[in-house]
Amino acid sequence: MRLIILLSGLLALILAATMPVSADEAELRAVIAKFSEAKKFSQTEAVIEELQALGDTDAVPTLNALSDGLLQVRESDGAVFIIKGDGETVDLLDPLTREAAGTAPGADLRKVKVKNSIRRLIADVVSGLTLRARNSAVRLEAAETMFSRPDPAMIATLDGVIAEETDAGVKTAFMQARAAAVLQSDLPEADKLDAIALMRDRGGRDVLPILTAIGASTQSDAIRAASREAIASIEESMMFWDAGQNILYGVSLGSVLLLAAIGLAITFGVMGVINMAHGEMVMLGAYTTFVVQEFIRTSAPWAFDYSLAIALPLAFCVSGAAGLVMERGIIRFLYGRPLETLLATWGVSLILQQAVRTIFGPTNREVGNPSWMSGSFEVGELLITTNRLWIVVFSGVVFAILLLVLKRTRFGLQMRAVTQNRPMASSMGIATPWVDAFTFALGSGIAGIAGVALSQIDNVSPNLGQGYIIDSFMVVVFGGVGNLWGTLVGAMTLGIANKFLEPYAGAVLAKIFILVLIILFIQKRPRGLFALKGRSVEA
Amino acid sequence: MITGFLFRALDRKAILVALALMAIALLVPLSNLYLPASHPLHVPTHILSLSGKYLTYALLALALDLVWGYCGILSLGHGAFFALGGYAMGMYLMRQIGTRGVYGNPVLPDFMVFLNWKELPWYWYGFDQFWFAALMVVAVPGALAFVFGWFAFRSRVSGVYLSIITQALTYALLLAFFRNEMGFGGNNGLTDFKDILGYSVQARETRAALFAATAIALALAFVICSGIVNSRYGKVLVCVRDAESRTRFIGYRVEHIKLFAFVVSAMMAGIAGALYVPQVGIINPGEFAPANSIEVVIWTAVGGRGTLVGPIIGAIAVNGGKSYFTAAFPEFWLFALGALFVATTLFLPKGIVGLVSGGVARLRTGREADRIEETLQPEAGAAE
Amino acid sequence: MNFIRKTMAGVFASAALAAATLVPSAQAQEDTIKVGVLHSLSGTMAISETTLKDVMLMLIDEQNKKGGLLGKKLEAVVVDPASDWPLFAEKARELITADKVAAVFGCWTSVSRKSVLPVFEELDSILFYPVQYEGEESQRNVFYTGAAPNQQAIPAVDYLMNEEGVERWVLAGTDYVYPRTTNKILEAYLKAKGVAPDDIMINYTPFGHSDWQTIVSDIKAFGSAGKKTAVVSTINGDANVPFYKELGNQGISASDIPVVAFSVGEEELAGLDTAPLVGHLAAWNYFQSVDTPENAAFIKEWKARMGENRVTNDPMEAHYIGFNMWVKAVEKAGTTDADAVIAALPGIQAPNLTGGMSTMLPNHHITKPVLIGEIQDDGQFEVVSETEDLVPGDAWSDYLPESKPLKSDWVELNCGNYNTETKTCLGGS
Repeated sequence: MRLIILLSGLLALILAATMPVSADEAELRAVIAKFSEAKKFSQTEAVIEELQALGDTDAVPTLNALSDGLLQVRESDGAVFIIKGDGETVDLLDPLTREAAGTAPGADLRKVKVKNSIRRLIADVVSGLTLRARNSAVRLEAAETMFSRPDPAMIATLDGVIAEETDAGVKTAFMQARAAAVLQSDLPEADKLDAIALMRDRGGRDVLPILTAIGASTQSDAIRAASREAIASIEESMMFWDAGQNILYGVSLGSVLLLAAIGLAITFGVMGVINMAHGEMVMLGAYTTFVVQEFIRTSAPWAFDYSLAIALPLAFCVSGAAGLVMERGIIRFLYGRPLETLLATWGVSLILQQAVRTIFGPTNREVGNPSWMSGSFEVGELLITTNRLWIVVFSGVVFAILLLVLKRTRFGLQMRAVTQNRPMASSMGIATPWVDAFTFALGSGIAGIAGVALSQIDNVSPNLGQGYIIDSFMVVVFGGVGNLWGTLVGAMTLGIANKFLEPYAGAVLAKIFILVLIILFIQKRPRGLFALKGRSVEA
Repeated sequence: MITGFLFRALDRKAILVALALMAIALLVPLSNLYLPASHPLHVPTHILSLSGKYLTYALLALALDLVWGYCGILSLGHGAFFALGGYAMGMYLMRQIGTRGVYGNPVLPDFMVFLNWKELPWYWYGFDQFWFAALMVVAVPGALAFVFGWFAFRSRVSGVYLSIITQALTYALLLAFFRNEMGFGGNNGLTDFKDILGYSVQARETRAALFAATAIALALAFVICSGIVNSRYGKVLVCVRDAESRTRFIGYRVEHIKLFAFVVSAMMAGIAGALYVPQVGIINPGEFAPANSIEVVIWTAVGGRGTLVGPIIGAIAVNGGKSYFTAAFPEFWLFALGALFVATTLFLPKGIVGLVSGGVARLRTGREADRIEETLQPEAGAAE
Repeated sequence: MNFIRKTMAGVFASAALAAATLVPSAQAQEDTIKVGVLHSLSGTMAISETTLKDVMLMLIDEQNKKGGLLGKKLEAVVVDPASDWPLFAEKARELITADKVAAVFGCWTSVSRKSVLPVFEELDSILFYPVQYEGEESQRNVFYTGAAPNQQAIPAVDYLMNEEGVERWVLAGTDYVYPRTTNKILEAYLKAKGVAPDDIMINYTPFGHSDWQTIVSDIKAFGSAGKKTAVVSTINGDANVPFYKELGNQGISASDIPVVAFSVGEEELAGLDTAPLVGHLAAWNYFQSVDTPENAAFIKEWKARMGENRVTNDPMEAHYIGFNMWVKAVEKAGTTDADAVIAALPGIQAPNLTGGMSTMLPNHHITKPVLIGEIQDDGQFEVVSETEDLVPGDAWSDYLPESKPLKSDWVELNCGNYNTETKTCLGGS
């Protein structure tokens, strides 16, 4: 019986491939209803294949919902629905029309289980069904799926689709998918040479394996030569892109370092306070983000995308306040004894870590990426992840603002005056103790802002700060104390150097090399890259 | 000259401390071995091994005090020298396991066997001999300190910068020793020791002997340090700490003076590490962690830096406290430790010794107190 | 003279402080049986181990509600080894000699276990170790209730090979002994299965690695060679969150390159937005989502005690099994004496939370089912494959040349590393 269904399915598939058939809606519903009995993965697969056999594009939403785990069965009567929302009761949608079909308690629903191989099957089926979809983006996606899993059996279908296709971009994609399939088929040499030429034009990393495979398996010298040549040309351009990608990674790592270090550049660089609790200020910022997101999740879920914007000023205030308290309570008694501030702030860092551990628990807390910070896009062969991009932009903005504050505001002027000549500044009427306090608060607040950004790419755990403290000190010392530009150059240099070393030496050795390089560099220039000149340095 | 050195070294204070340590070295192991467990003065074995560990920490703190308290070099990487000494000893102990490892390989340590190493790396040669290992315990940290100090002091890296690059040094070593390719056992380090000089490391007698050896080493180190700081060289050392430029202008080679102290201190730290490993039974890269090195500074600060006795008291007191708090208030001991750091720097800038002598000084204006006052005061001006 | 007094006073004061620490904290009461809990509550490992301390306290409370053990109440002695390995040894010694605990439940990392091993051997006490580990060890005083490599890694690879058709393998791990050994075993296993050396990529990263850009893009490049590729991840703890975030952001979905992890459980996922990770896999012997009455009861109790949003995970189940086995063994032996309990333990059966009965084997490992789960968007796993029978833990891997001839049997041979070729018990104990 099963065999007959399968055979008829295959027949229908062939038919579906050549001409779009719209199956009877009742028939479709009958097949979809079978999901309620599919308890094993193999049964689910059989039902999907039946849907494929019907060849009706109306089944696509159902299949996509299944892939996303949203296709669920109401236990009480075995009806199949697409669900929406979560919680105690969920909304039910009709699996075909997606019209509202009432609600049901979550406990009454059972998910139709899927796993990776089923998701892949669904993707293949969906791409087969959507070759003629109205939306060109959907067709493009179908073409890409076919390209990534080429199947010679589809060549004829693709020929038909290509002939009908009007959108130039989608048409190229279909032709490339066809070419990939051709290279796996036993079509004559001329077709394959054309296909290789198409592949060469497409370029990119995912073409290389296809070309390598054909070059290795073919009998024909012409094909081998063509594929070898195509590979060489693609690899050449890839080298260029790879270098670009490395620089990009380096800039992204550099901007993370910059964010982590820039607060320190103020507290350590400008004020000369060795703040070992700097990392914990970053951590406080990250936890502030967590608290903000928790609050939004429970009381205003629609505002989730703005959570970071809300968290930024709060994190600045929380960490800044912590810094202010620290300065007033501890550090002001220790000016002129930098090595002792090191010890005291180390103590503070232990206390803060344990406090966070006691309040929030020792485990990682979840900080979500807002939708505008998820995903990635490609520029040529460069892959740019959105969250990294935002962090690069963000660190640039923070840097610029800080520079403005220091150079263009009254507070910045006072700050510089105090650091350059304290007695003179004091006799000019500047309240030096408060300038100190607010400078320290500013440095800490910036660290808090960095924490908001770092919460997007790293763990939010009590150990968060520890991971950055040594790197931050390295950046500041390397760049030159007391100079924001030095910090910028230092962070970028270290980031990029690290990323260029990493492919050759591995992540660990790269880091060791960098540390050794910094140690050697300090011997050469004991005051860092951009050393302050003048009297104040020698004091 | 040596007699002169010893004569100066053995001032009243040094004699007393050395004698006290010698007495501890003798009495504690004897009490552990020969007094019945019910006797009120019996020292149980676990306290013995714990105290042995504290004494190695005390030796490390003493080594740090020589460079920090007397020369103004705040090293945040002394844990590295300690760990290197420990590794040298650990390598000897590994080689002593011989065929008693889990795979029964006569030459290769277990971790090399299961990483499929076929032969012993060259740097492991010689460690089956105790004399060689003992030499390496001082030579490796000494050499590293020499090279590092040579460059750093010559280019006049000082103060905070020096602290930070010593931290970078120990961090780089931490990462390096974590790598399994290095052939030092990676994260697990060296462990599962059996024998030292033919005696089982687990035997009570061996533990007692190790304790005695540690106490004696500490006493010797104390005498040596005391000799150094009371010598002419020691006076110059304090000059360097208090006014480096002036000392240089007078005509002293400041970098040589610093280098000597740094190397001696590193060697002492190496010995401390070597004594630590057989008593604790494990050495792994965690010892290189910058946090550990910072803790050493804390012990020294709590006890009172620039006093030689202070670091010993500090190391024992802080670690005793740590042992107590981690058992009694496991959730809160970091608060206590953190508060201790803050309180020490704010209220006890001269540490416990300073507190005690200060208190005594207020009662009767003693010469002693002034002297300590003197040695401690000028630090502020020297550092940045 | 005053200096002498000062110095001596100082020395004595600190010695007294040191001694005070070591006097048993509670005066040894005769009517309780003490159980040591040796898990880090601070430092880097607190993130994983604190939960295990909580679960031990819960299990002990439960046992006391049932009337205790041998007519006595159980008393937990909790200490904090602070993720500091030598401190583990010190604390173990303190628990055994000063607190006189009957057994210790603890450790997470291999290095902490290695650090305490000699102490347990010397003082002849019992340690229950609840975490999956690299094997290559069997010690008389230690009972390994976590998975050995054959109870986790190999079934996971089998699943990928058979169900997902994976032909190309990335073995990515943190650079320490567990990933190293596991990857060695897997490499040998894959080669034995006919995988070409070119199709295996091995990568190690340091602890807490947070910048995964290069490695993830390497994996992506490696995976675009036309053959189905999977990542077998032995990446440890903290480094996982940025790793998965980078995977999600670089658009690697589970249906392209699935990642099967051996160190990522419910607890780790709790710190992550799992929506982009749906379909990635983990291999464990227990998942919170397993639907059995025992598990439901366990979860209910845990949530009632710790809060609604706390999750359960595999090492917690290991403690559950281990603790119940210990209780049964003590009842069988009629005493908490270590030698008697060690002799009684092999053969003891205790229910696991996935509906089976786990047995303590003569090699001090236990039998466990192997489950493969896919990550769901709610931070839970859904079981996609489960072994038919319980898999017995194998201390010595058959895929490493040096350990192949070794066998562990504490009942018949009284040896943890018996060489079946030379018929001798090799060194050690």
